[in-house]
Amino acid sequence: MFLSFFDLEYTSPLYRQLRQINKKYYNKMKELIPLLLVLLIASCQKEDFSAELTEGFSIESTSSGAIYPIKVALPENYNPETQTYATIYLLDGEDNFDFVAENCKKISHDLSTSNVLVVSIGYGNDRVDDYTPTKAQEGGGGAEKFMQFIENELIPRIESEYAVDTLRSSRAILGHSFGGLLAAYAFTNHNTVFGNYLMLSPSIWYDNEIMLRLEQENRAINSNNHQLVFLGLGQLENQGRMLAPFEAFYQRLLNNYPGIAIQRNLEANLEHMGSKNPNILKGLNFYFKSR
Amino acid sequence: MKITKYLFISIFFLNLSALVAQIDGAAKLNKNFPAPNLTIAPAIGLNPWPMSDLVVSNLVQWDIKKRLSLVSYTAYTYNNVFLRNFNYIKTNYNYSLSQKVGVGTALYSKRASHSFSLLGGIKYNSFKETLENPEFEKVSASVSSLSPDFGCMYHLQVGKKKYFFSYRMYIPLYPYPVQHLDITAIDGNIANVSLEFGLGIRLK
Repeated sequence: MFLSFFDLEYTSPLYRQLRQINKKYYNKMKELIPLLLVLLIASCQKEDFSAELTEGFSIESTSSGAIYPIKVALPENYNPETQTYATIYLLDGEDNFDFVAENCKKISHDLSTSNVLVVSIGYGNDRVDDYTPTKAQEGGGGAEKFMQFIENELIPRIESEYAVDTLRSSRAILGHSFGGLLAAYAFTNHNTVFGNYLMLSPSIWYDNEIMLRLEQENRAINSNNHQLVFLGLGQLENQGRMLAPFEAFYQRLLNNYPGIAIQRNLEANLEHMGSKNPNILKGLNFYFKSR
Repeated sequence: MKITKYLFISIFFLNLSALVAQIDGAAKLNKNFPAPNLTIAPAIGLNPWPMSDLVVSNLVQWDIKKRLSLVSYTAYTYNNVFLRNFNYIKTNYNYSLSQKVGVGTALYSKRASHSFSLLGGIKYNSFKETLENPEFEKVSASVSSLSPDFGCMYHLQVGKKKYFFSYRMYIPLYPYPVQHLDITAIDGNIANVSLEFGLGIRLK
C-alpha cells in the first residue's frame, strides 16, 4: 500500500513536470522554486475592499495630539437622502478594515438586512499607549484620552458628514487583543457612547485585571443599559493569561447586567492571531442578527 | 477547497524533497544507504516561539527502501514552562499529547542521513487556569480539545553505528497557516514549530 502511494506520488503530473524541467533546466529550476513559493504566498494575500465605496480623511486629536487616519466603508447603494445607517468603529483599522468591511457587506446581504458604515481608526499613537487604561509595564495608559477623541471628535465628525443613526444602540466598537481591552474599557467607563461591543481575545489580564475593578466600580450606572456583547477567544490561547480573566469578565457581564444580550465563543484549535478573523465573523453574525 | 490546498502543499514538499534527492546522484545514494533498518530516537526539545514549551518525544523510523521511510512520532509537551503564575493567574496544568504517523524520503552521506517526512495524526490539548486575585472572586476555566495534527518533519541522524545523534524539526501545517485570507494568522503554526535533540538506537 505504501509503495503504491509512493509510486503514485512519483507519477503525479506535478512531479513529472518538475522532473522534466529538472533534466534540462536544473539551474533555471533553482530560480523557479522561490518564485513558486512567492506565488503560493501571494495567492493567499487578502483582498481589498472596494475602493469606490471607501472614503478617507485624517483627524488631529485635541485630546492626545496625534493624527489618526480614518477610513469609512460605505454600504452599497448608500443613499444619505432616504436612509440612515448604523456604524461600527473598528480598532487596529489598518489591519482589519478590508476584512470587516467586506464581511459586513456579505453578512448583511445574506441576512437581507441593512448594512452599516465601517469606520476604521488607524494608528496615530502606538496602540499599546492608546488602547490601555492604565500605565503599566505593557502599556502607556492612554485609553481615556483615546476614548475622549472617539467620543468628542471622531463620532461628531462622522455623524455630521454621513447619514448615520446617532443613537447609542446604533454604534458598535470592535477590537482585538489590546483593541479588545479598549472595547472593554469603553463598556465600563464610556457606556453611553456605544451600545454594541465586539471584544475579541481581550487582554483582561492587563495590569492585574484592572478591567474587573473598573467593571465593578461602574456596574451600578451601567447595568440597566441595554448592551449587546460578543466575547471571543481562541481555544488554544494557553499562554497562562487569557482564559481565566476572560471567563471572569464573561461571568460578571452575564450575571450582573439584566439588559445584556451576550455571546461567548471559543474558536476551536486556534490561538491568539489565528482566532481573530473567525471570531470577527462570528461576532459580526451575532451583531447583525441581534442588534 | 481546504483539502485541495493541503494536498497541494503536501505533494509540493514531497516532490521537492524527492527532486533534491534525485539531484544528489543515484550512485552516491546506493553507496551510502545502509541495510533496511529500524531506529528509535527519544529526544527533548523546545517550541522556539516563545521559547517556553518543553517537548519530550520519541521517533520510530523504519527505512524500508533507500528513499522510503515509515515514521511514528509521539510527543508530550509541557506548555508554558516559565509563565505559570502571572498577574494572579495561576496555571493549574497545561500540556499536549500528540501521536502521528507518516512517510518520508531520505538523503544519505557517509556519516549522516537527512529524512524529510509528512506526518499526520491527532493532538490532545488540555489546560486550566485560575484567577486568584484577592481583590476579586476566584474563577477557574479549562479547555480540553482534540484536533488533527499534520505537518512536515526534517530528521538528521549523525552516526552509522548502533547509537547515533538525532536532531529533528517539526513544522505543523494545521491549522492551515493562512486563516480567512489574513496572512498574519500564521502565528499559530510558527508557535508550534518544535526543535528537538536526542540519542537514537539502531535496532536492526
